[in-house]
Amino acid sequence: MRPAPFSYHKAERLDQALALLAEFGEDARPIAGGQSLVPMMNLRLARPSHLVDINALDLDTIELRSDHLHIGALVRHERYARESLIAQHFPAFAEGVEWIGHPTIRRRGTLGGSISHADPTAELPALCVLLGAEIIAQSAEGSRRIPAAEFFISAYVTSLEAGEMVTGIDLPLPKGKSSGAFEEFAERSGDFAIISAGVTLEHDGRAITDARVVWSGVDLAPVMAERAGDLLRGKPLSAPEAEAAAQAMSAGITPLDDPMASAEFRHSLIVELTQRALTRACEKAMQAS
Amino acid sequence: MSKTTITANGQTKNLSLEPRRLLADVLREDFRLSGVHIGCAHGACGACTVHVDGVPRLSCLTFAVQCDGAEINTVESLGGDDAHHLLQRAFREEHGLQCGYCTPGFLMTMAPYVEEMAAQDRMPEDAEIRHAMSGNICRCTGYQSIVAAVRLAITQRRNGESTQ
Repeated sequence: MRPAPFSYHKAERLDQALALLAEFGEDARPIAGGQSLVPMMNLRLARPSHLVDINALDLDTIELRSDHLHIGALVRHERYARESLIAQHFPAFAEGVEWIGHPTIRRRGTLGGSISHADPTAELPALCVLLGAEIIAQSAEGSRRIPAAEFFISAYVTSLEAGEMVTGIDLPLPKGKSSGAFEEFAERSGDFAIISAGVTLEHDGRAITDARVVWSGVDLAPVMAERAGDLLRGKPLSAPEAEAAAQAMSAGITPLDDPMASAEFRHSLIVELTQRALTRACEKAMQAS
Repeated sequence: MSKTTITANGQTKNLSLEPRRLLADVLREDFRLSGVHIGCAHGACGACTVHVDGVPRLSCLTFAVQCDGAEINTVESLGGDDAHHLLQRAFREEHGLQCGYCTPGFLMTMAPYVEEMAAQDRMPEDAEIRHAMSGNICRCTGYQSIVAAVRLAITQRRNGESTQ
């Protein structure tokens, strides 16, 4: 298949891109790496009448800004691994992004593109929810910050409005000692995940003081484990009882059931991957202490 | 229609293009470079991999109008019609292909990787090679012989053999 016809506009500056998006509204989509949008267009699942090419915009910074790390929308996936700030502060993010696509796709695809596309099994939406990211959306009217938990509504559906585009995310820096890990299961390397589990821990060097767990592949948007903090607070890093905690926090979760994987199989994966991620996050925390 | 200037394998053309035309199609139809193979046309198989300004890119996920002023290289630029590039010779020796449909994509993905490893004077683990080519699908070989071909090419480059 080939895409339906569209008009192409190359924006040189942000204000120009936002003016074009305002002018064409719902009929326009920004294009950066195109690694998600162009497949959708080739399959005619997406038919924008106008594409606004934003590759020339200055949106590819990664920098510490007071109490958060800012990552620009045009940062390409291959760059995360080279950023010591990410490895240092956000180990779950550093691990999770290793699962994105294949090398050729990672070289081209962008943070903003993956977030805006909002594939239900993608790593970056899950990581944004896990880390309490704020997603920065800009339009010709101005800019707003959307908590990740409110941004991802359903499969390929976000709270972005016509005329808006993602310009970056802010990840709040952990306040105390922290650790994290990410696990995923897919049929082949680089395939869409069947289930992934991300974990972040806060700790005092000996015991867990707080914990967050996120899953993708459970529902049409990333799901936070509501009881993760209650179940893990106070547990020693050396013996976090990860399996029992993973079982307890996933009790009552009914995952998707589709030809790719049954709900039962997905549930087993949730428990196993959560347990592995928790165990590794604790091991890393002990090594660092 | 958009005015677009593209250079492919050293040949520059000023084209008037419909924006929806994929780089893969423009290379095949306007430049007559039939070494650009289109497998899935949605970024899953890697067969259409070419170099845009020296970097491997999926030409089925790139609109040609986005390549105004860019230099494209296709498999034809590696070792010409007789496929004499060192990596192509290694594929022949190690039986790294059978039907050949995926081969241009593998070659264009892995040629820079071979150079990168040779520059580091390092032989990667098989798992690293498999990761590097994980975006390319081959239905004939089972990949083992492609890994062997890449290893052979890296060995030869580390021994100072020329790619040509």
